[in-house]
Amino acid sequence: MKRLLLVIVMALIAASCGGDGGIEIDDPWARSSARMQNAGAVYMTITADDGDTLTGVAVDSSVAMMAELHETQMSDEGTMAMQEVPNMAVPADGELNLEPGGFHIMLMQLAEPLESGDTFPVTLTFENAGEVVVDVEVREE
Amino acid sequence: MLTRPSTPRVLPLLIALATAAIVLSACGDSIPAEPAGILRDPAPVVGDVELPDASNGGVTFATRAQDDHVLLVYFGFTSCPDVCPTTLADVRRAVRELDEGLAARVDLAVITVDPDRDDAATLTAYAQTWVPGAHALRTDDPAALRAAADAYGADYAIQTNDEGDIEVGHTAFLYAVDSAGRIRLTWPFGTPHEDLTSDMEYLFNEGV
Repeated sequence: MKRLLLVIVMALIAASCGGDGGIEIDDPWARSSARMQNAGAVYMTITADDGDTLTGVAVDSSVAMMAELHETQMSDEGTMAMQEVPNMAVPADGELNLEPGGFHIMLMQLAEPLESGDTFPVTLTFENAGEVVVDVEVREE
Repeated sequence: MLTRPSTPRVLPLLIALATAAIVLSACGDSIPAEPAGILRDPAPVVGDVELPDASNGGVTFATRAQDDHVLLVYFGFTSCPDVCPTTLADVRRAVRELDEGLAARVDLAVITVDPDRDDAATLTAYAQTWVPGAHALRTDDPAALRAAADAYGADYAIQTNDEGDIEVGHTAFLYAVDSAGRIRLTWPFGTPHEDLTSDMEYLFNEGV
């Protein structure tokens, strides 16, 4: 009986901890926008205990008309271009880095300039963990 | 056209240079013996590249630094959320970290590769966010833009994808031009701002 109780307690603890799928978001930030710049990018580092996949992103229309998962890549000719990607993998034993010149969240048609010191929420959707809301800090560099 | 040490034979030389650089820096000399940016030999001449300067009523501007100045030149566009602001914010920071006297001798010209969307006022406001008084170079003549890019060894392509979105691809180098109109240094995307600062000190030390 004691052992059964222990198992139940352990199961409850595991369930309560599993709510966020072990997702951790480190340093979500966006660069302050230049005057007349109408698009922005959000960067962060994501880890997931058991691995996961980032499948979608959303921002409020008071920030930007739309947010998309993007990747900047360099072509064989040396030109850099961005493309929308359907998802981004978060490896179980590593991290997903959203950083300048690589994976990032693109903010399209900013409602207002992003100013240093502002914060705004971004909703990330993961295949396993579901929705995770992060507060993005705007800073100059 | 870029000079890149890529063959294994130069590796020992690179190690020797790196060691020398570390030893030198340990001596407290803040100006590097060798710049971090790419030296192109022969230095491309771009002083006769002329484009309308939207920040000055469309008056023709030749991409050549004033005497004793360095002109930084960047091909970009204002709808660029990731690559362009990364480099241009590093430029802003690098210039701020120069001594005041030197910072006043650094100018910036942003050449738009997307003139259809970047009108004169938009481009001017954008360029001058990064460096006060920056030149905003914009032409409606595709041949003139292409010729300017060719002179720098820059490239760009604008396409509309299946969903009707405009996709812009562009080389993302930053160029330092001297008063003789020569490209003295070329920096690839991702060059740390500390390197931009020390390379500009290097150029001023060498003479521009």
